[in-house]
Amino acid sequence: MSHTVLVCDDAIFMRTMITDILAQAGFEVVGEAETGSQAVEKYRQLKPDLVTMDIVMPDMGGIDAVREIVKQDPDAKILMCSAMGQQALVVEAIQAGAKDFVVKPFQPSRVLEAVQRVLG
Amino acid sequence: MDLSQYAELFLAESREHLSACNQLLLEWERHPASPEPVGGIFRAVHTIKGMAATMGYGRVADLAHRMENLLDHLRRGGKSPGEDTLQLLFRATDALEKAVGLAVAGRERELDVAAILADLDRAGAKEPTAPAAASPPRAAASLAAPSGSGRLVSVTIRPEAPLKGGRAMLIVRKVQSLGVIQRMQPAAAAFESDDFDGQFVFELDSAADARDIEAAIRSMGDVERVTVGDEEEHVTPAESVAAGGGGSGAGGGRSRHIRVDLRRLDTLMDLIGELVTARGRLNELAARWVGQDPVIDEVAIQISRLSADLQNEIIQARMTPVWQVFDRFPRLVRDVARQLGKQVAFRVEGKEIELDREILDELGDPLVHLLRNAVDHGIEPPAERKRAKKDAEGEIVLTAVRERSSVAISIADDGRGIDRSRILAKAKREGIVGPHVESLSDDQLLRVLARPGFSTAEAVTALSGRGVGIDVAMTRIRALGGSIEIRTEPGKGTTFVLRLPVTLAIVRALIAAVGLERYALPLTYVAETVELGTTPMTKMEGREAMVLRDRVVPLVDLRELLGTNGGSPPPPPRRPVIVLEMGERRAGIVVDGMLSQQEIVVKGFDAPRGTLPVFSGATIMGDGVPALILDAAGLV
Repeated sequence: MSHTVLVCDDAIFMRTMITDILAQAGFEVVGEAETGSQAVEKYRQLKPDLVTMDIVMPDMGGIDAVREIVKQDPDAKILMCSAMGQQALVVEAIQAGAKDFVVKPFQPSRVLEAVQRVLG
Repeated sequence: MDLSQYAELFLAESREHLSACNQLLLEWERHPASPEPVGGIFRAVHTIKGMAATMGYGRVADLAHRMENLLDHLRRGGKSPGEDTLQLLFRATDALEKAVGLAVAGRERELDVAAILADLDRAGAKEPTAPAAASPPRAAASLAAPSGSGRLVSVTIRPEAPLKGGRAMLIVRKVQSLGVIQRMQPAAAAFESDDFDGQFVFELDSAADARDIEAAIRSMGDVERVTVGDEEEHVTPAESVAAGGGGSGAGGGRSRHIRVDLRRLDTLMDLIGELVTARGRLNELAARWVGQDPVIDEVAIQISRLSADLQNEIIQARMTPVWQVFDRFPRLVRDVARQLGKQVAFRVEGKEIELDREILDELGDPLVHLLRNAVDHGIEPPAERKRAKKDAEGEIVLTAVRERSSVAISIADDGRGIDRSRILAKAKREGIVGPHVESLSDDQLLRVLARPGFSTAEAVTALSGRGVGIDVAMTRIRALGGSIEIRTEPGKGTTFVLRLPVTLAIVRALIAAVGLERYALPLTYVAETVELGTTPMTKMEGREAMVLRDRVVPLVDLRELLGTNGGSPPPPPRRPVIVLEMGERRAGIVVDGMLSQQEIVVKGFDAPRGTLPVFSGATIMGDGVPALILDAAGLV
């Protein structure tokens, strides 16, 4: 059975691209979220095997969403999607419980490597 | 990876974010002390940066990045932005919009942003930076010999890896699952700095085998070298992480929305148009054959129903909320007001009202004209407003409201109103109205204003007031089958109301006969029908008119207006009158007979020179014969 993924990003563009990359590799994207609070809510509903999480999102940011999700499920597997220059934020996200990160612009191979690492 | 497939999505989404930037900048300008707008602007610019970098649009990403730097300073500084800074951000937003457009068109190289980049950097340097976390000294990653039972572990992250600090943090977390880190050089705080070079050393208390420790560290990715204790580095095979999480390439992605090329929707609309025409012919045939085989009627009804559903779905798919066009107006009104030294509060209501995309696209320019007019001619300068005991800040409200089968869009200002006597004088001078006319109704006023080249401005400005504007707007709106109305009161303000059909392509129409010809009249503006001669007759401004429930309705006899072919039968003794109603205006259209009510597919119509301005298009009837569509606005 393929792994299920929840894709969180406020840009449809980014969600589409990540979804395409993952779907082509055989993952099943079961949900999308545009804000941190949506991400938390959808995680609760969908219990996906993997979450991709943008850092900068309206409403609740990605890092707070990681904290909330990890509180619900300490084993949550969350992959942060960050931009160049967000060193401090990425470190914070990892301290909050994110399992790995990829840096925009995405290269599909790097995204998939990171996903493999996170899923172990 | 083929990125071109994402270009349209990039463009569409970037535009939404740019629009948000403009809105938020306006809000910030009005409330400089508010902390919210800058965060939103930062997020929008940041998102564009990420998307542009992914698309490989380096210059766009660079511009967004420099904007983001300045915004970040401002956000952290928590101070109100200066006037110069706001102006710079407006300019930068414009530059970014242009950059996005050029990049998608494959012309990113033409982009010249050197000047704006320099300004952004200068402004960024000027803005006070918040006391940043003191940057840790760049310590060489070395530790003295282990103090106790621990082993020294040193790690080097690949030089080309992005965000090395993040990677280091992941490694530290991983190692913590194997044992306890006693000391580390540099300290973890250094990972947050962009200066971190990717080398670090720590002392680890752990029972794990050195090989396992090394494997665990390498499993976190982007690791170039690891040494654990005194052991030699193990050369591990090149990391080979297969792309793919099992399963074939068949994507399992699910999404409830897809994006469709607009041209596809246009084609679908054309096809359903053809289908509606064919359906009309089928219905006529079925009516003729139903005696021989009643089943044919059943089939015809079923096809009618299905094609009506299909048509409805396609029309729905084309509906677009008006904010997609309205959202750029706050910025426009602000810019015009600034140029003219006016103060204007601008409000938009009914943003979510939907119109056919094609109508909405066409509506942009006329609305720009009318809004500019409202700022330029409607709203008075602040001093004049104060003298008139009005708030120095004028107000313009743009409202969309759904009416029965049309949408009314109004532009209301609380300015000085239109000076009727001046317009009347000018209209008399130019012979537009007779010398005996004493006052102009709203309706007449509009007709005068809408004459090409008619300008009321005392001073012609570069923005509006050259007499283009209302006539251009009116022509466009009427070409869409809509109408314009005006209400104005001296000292109180002016309101323009545009009425538009919700969709262009297919309308319900009354088919009327005049002589041997058939004409279609869209039902949108048909109020009722009466029989000629059953109501009292009178005259109005020299024209035939009838009195309908105490209102005088001028009559237009299509036989006289359009003429009839030779061989046409004489007018029947009992002729129907179709009463059209457009806002406050009415007219009774006298025809020879009414044939049916049906859906017609509107085809564009390039009227030959000299054609009366009373047709808005043409349609093909069920029998394949074309008929002209009468333009209600041209008749009333």
